[in-house]
Amino acid sequence: MQALAEAAGKFVFFIGLIVLNIAAILTWVERKQSAVMQDRIGANRATIFGIRMLGMFHMLADMLKLFTKEFFIPMGARRFVYLLAPMISLLFALVGFAAIPFGDTLILGGREIPLQIANVNIGILYIFAVLGMAVYGVVLGAWASNNNYALLGGLRASAQMLSYEVAIGVSLVGVIMVYQTVDLMEIARAQGQLLWGWLPQWGILLQPLGFLIFMTAGIAETKRIPFDAPEGESEIVGYFIEYSGMGFGMYFLTDFLETILIASLTVTFFLGGFQVPYLYADGFHFPWGQAILLPNIAVAALQFLSFLIKLIVLLFIMMAIRWTLPRFRYDQIMHLGWKILLPASLINILITAVVLTIIG
Amino acid sequence: MPTITIDGKQLTVDEGKTVIQAAEEAGIYIPRYCYHPGLRIVGQCRICLVEIEKMPKLQVACYTRVQDGMVVHVNSEKAKRARQQVLEFLLVNHPIDCPVCDQAGECYLQEYYMQFGLYDPKMVEDKNKKHKAVPVGPHVVLDSERCILCTRCVRFCDEISKTSELGVFHRGDHAELLPYPGRTLDNPYSANVVDICPVGALTERDFRFKVRVWYLDETKSVCPGCATGCNIEIHTSKARPYKNEGRRIARLKPRYNPDVNDYWICDYGRYGFLFVDDDSRIEQPLVKQNGEFQELSWDDALQMVSGVINTALENGKAVRILGSAQMTNEDLYALKRFGNEVLETHDIPVTVKPLEKPYSDDFLIREDKNPNTRGAALLGFDTEPAATEKLLTACRNGEVYTLIIFHHDLFKGFAEDEVKAALDKVDSVIFVGSNLNPTAELASYVLPSCTWAEKDGTFTNYAGRVQKINEAIEPLEGSLPEWKILRRLARQFDHTFAYFEAEDVFRDIVKKVPAFTGMSYRALGDRGMLVSENGRSVQQAEVKEELTVVSK
Amino acid sequence: MNVHDKYKPLSWWDKTYIPLVIDGLAVTLRHFFRNIRLHILNVIGIKTKERGAVTYQYPEEMRPLWPRTRTLHRLMRREDGSPRCVACMMCETACPARCIYIVAEERPEVQIEKQPKIFNIDLGKCVFCGYCVEACPEDAIRMDTGIIDIASYTRNGMLLTKEQLLNIEPKVENYVSRPDLMEGQPIY
Repeated sequence: MQALAEAAGKFVFFIGLIVLNIAAILTWVERKQSAVMQDRIGANRATIFGIRMLGMFHMLADMLKLFTKEFFIPMGARRFVYLLAPMISLLFALVGFAAIPFGDTLILGGREIPLQIANVNIGILYIFAVLGMAVYGVVLGAWASNNNYALLGGLRASAQMLSYEVAIGVSLVGVIMVYQTVDLMEIARAQGQLLWGWLPQWGILLQPLGFLIFMTAGIAETKRIPFDAPEGESEIVGYFIEYSGMGFGMYFLTDFLETILIASLTVTFFLGGFQVPYLYADGFHFPWGQAILLPNIAVAALQFLSFLIKLIVLLFIMMAIRWTLPRFRYDQIMHLGWKILLPASLINILITAVVLTIIG
Repeated sequence: MPTITIDGKQLTVDEGKTVIQAAEEAGIYIPRYCYHPGLRIVGQCRICLVEIEKMPKLQVACYTRVQDGMVVHVNSEKAKRARQQVLEFLLVNHPIDCPVCDQAGECYLQEYYMQFGLYDPKMVEDKNKKHKAVPVGPHVVLDSERCILCTRCVRFCDEISKTSELGVFHRGDHAELLPYPGRTLDNPYSANVVDICPVGALTERDFRFKVRVWYLDETKSVCPGCATGCNIEIHTSKARPYKNEGRRIARLKPRYNPDVNDYWICDYGRYGFLFVDDDSRIEQPLVKQNGEFQELSWDDALQMVSGVINTALENGKAVRILGSAQMTNEDLYALKRFGNEVLETHDIPVTVKPLEKPYSDDFLIREDKNPNTRGAALLGFDTEPAATEKLLTACRNGEVYTLIIFHHDLFKGFAEDEVKAALDKVDSVIFVGSNLNPTAELASYVLPSCTWAEKDGTFTNYAGRVQKINEAIEPLEGSLPEWKILRRLARQFDHTFAYFEAEDVFRDIVKKVPAFTGMSYRALGDRGMLVSENGRSVQQAEVKEELTVVSK
Repeated sequence: MNVHDKYKPLSWWDKTYIPLVIDGLAVTLRHFFRNIRLHILNVIGIKTKERGAVTYQYPEEMRPLWPRTRTLHRLMRREDGSPRCVACMMCETACPARCIYIVAEERPEVQIEKQPKIFNIDLGKCVFCGYCVEACPEDAIRMDTGIIDIASYTRNGMLLTKEQLLNIEPKVENYVSRPDLMEGQPIY
């Protein structure tokens, strides 16, 4: 019973308070960041009593609009599947966060609480499963819409997501080999150790090629520019072409949630997760011998803050990429997935194996 | 036969020809205003000046006869400069009001100025004011300021219509084209002066300000106004339907055919197209119910009509047809087959003699106002008016159960009570035609056919010349060519007429009717072919395309 | 990248897209940080020569119209108040969108002869190419009213008739003579 309450608390805190809010803010960031990058001002017309808040109220306005708009079901659509598909999409985007560790152990009232919603000891496989299921929401929605363009978008999405899942999976094998575990919490903890006594053992340092491959494939997995062929606003509009109101809203939200999921996975695997360099369970221990002791609650807060900052920086970079690159042609997407990323990740495994064997 | 050289081209021409005609044979176009091949040569405008070697001055090409050994330079510097200066003189008093001029677009002043004018004008004095927008006749409006005094129209009235209404008055730069005092330009060929006027001095009243000429599409056709069968061009305004008060046909223009009408056409024919876009056009099949016409679909109409005919045939009652010589050979042939094969009637009258004798002369206008009486006769119809009288008498005696009338308005050929008495006795009258007329009002069923401008086909003129007409505009919605109506009607009686286009019908005619042997749409060309008595038709040489390319 | 390198085959390194992605990111991020710095400086009240955005806040702030900008059409009048147009149909002929509808009629004054009975412009079709102005031999149609906010709830509202076109009030103040010399205006 207490475990359940604990999990519920972590769920409300992490997903309800952090992830969903970041997703909402991302819609604003997407507009404003692109505007600043392109010498524009960006959306700033929504006001409350004349207060503009840099256009922040557009989030509220959008939400209000999406909730009050008619949810339209086209003629000939599969009603049940059509309603179900965006929910599936949203569900699998959300449950992925369950395995993300956003801090080490917090000791509260004598209880040791691991800062991870569900402590799945086969975390990586769980993540693969969740990412694999995400394609269903897209394909079912596309097919149920009874629209040629939606179907085209769904087909593209399924081919693209399946192709890039291979690259994602293989690129993570290197991480598993280095840290000798598939538990996400263990991987994050392992990155707190030091290499040669002074260098934090982050994934980006041990697996630079793996990081690159994972980032690229991850962006492709979110179906955002430059990999937005399934959406292709200017040509086919995409798998959600028939959706309106909150049906579209859920797909829209899924888009941002997936971005956050991929970003937090990258943080967990390659950027040290919640680790702050030289911060241990009882405080800082610098390589030159100095030490600052901290209470457990401060350590947990610092770790969570570090996770959040890394996440935000990564999201900023992903947004910058989204507003910098044009859309790849479909054949280029396939070429990149199968002919560059997959061989590169295999080579990554080979190199990792050779190095590990030499080091012993 | 003198041999001459024009711009380096050597050729032998007939004795007595002038340089402009010889150049035309050589394919070299010399600009002209006053010269017209259908009129006397006067050498009035001087635009055709050419350089002839061993002659001290430039000569007018239209008036100078060819002589053996002549060497002519049409495009030498001297000739070009002369042309420019003549053009400047012609434009001295021209108002240059092209924006409001109906001739703009087909004006020879514009054309030549664009080709070799474009000079820096030296004329600075004020222009002379003359009469503007004078309606000189029922069809023609005159603008004296635009006139360049080529006198083509004066010669036309003297030589072709022989009525001499027009003349040039005053002297010098006050010289002005006007009708003689007290005269109006109202001869039956008056509108031809509009065609021959090279500038915008004489324009049509009917066409005035309706459509700009560059919006028009042209289709070759034949005038349906009388048995002469003058060759015409139908000018249609299809792209901008809000123009011309919604009329699709903007105007008719004569088309050169030396075997029929030369360059001319009468005013009756020229303005005889107004019925095409008239309010009286029938747009859907009609059936009379309680004295009112109701619109219905073609399928229903054909079913009803065939039902009526079938009832008559099954009860052994007479179904008779009154055809019309307004129909093309193709329509008439389909009608003949329909009569013979479906109704088994063999004598089909086509002619209704009008009560008043219509105007006719010995030039182009004939008394017979039907374009295809000769064709009907050749296809085996009874073209004697007596046959129609006999049919009406039969109707009056109650011998006819169903009567199918094509196009005719019987009230124009018979006394009113005579027609009413006859049609009252007929159980059901079926009218096929393009426009509603008093006879159609008495019919129980009305089927809409399209007009001559809306279909392909052939007419045979009084002299036996078979000439092609072409579809200039799409048939009015709901109307069909008669042969198509008959094909669909025959289908209701399980008779198949395997025709898909008018040309299929014509092929059948050529096969079955000896007079048409050897003809085809292709062979008819622009000038048509004569039917032959002995089974061999005569093909005419193709008309040489009129030269329009202006040499630089 | 040099323009002339555009058609050279990509090297192996280029084919991984990494250098080009970095190039592109450098450009966009340079703009991002430059603009965000300017925005922040403006917010805390420091005036800068450049602005962080080129945006004109349109309904409140009108962008000055260049003298050659084509705006809503108008028909000109003669000194006696009658339309200058003689219904020569030149504009109608030149119009690539076929949005001009003219029907001519007789004009009582014999020296001019012709005038438009109907002169409609369908702004819903108009592409503002200005060919009608070029084609007009009478300077009867102009596109210099300075009116750019053309909108309507119905299609018929977009159809301007002769009377409307003759009575349009030009907003010349929207035009500037030499905007490039105006002070304080950014030039892009």
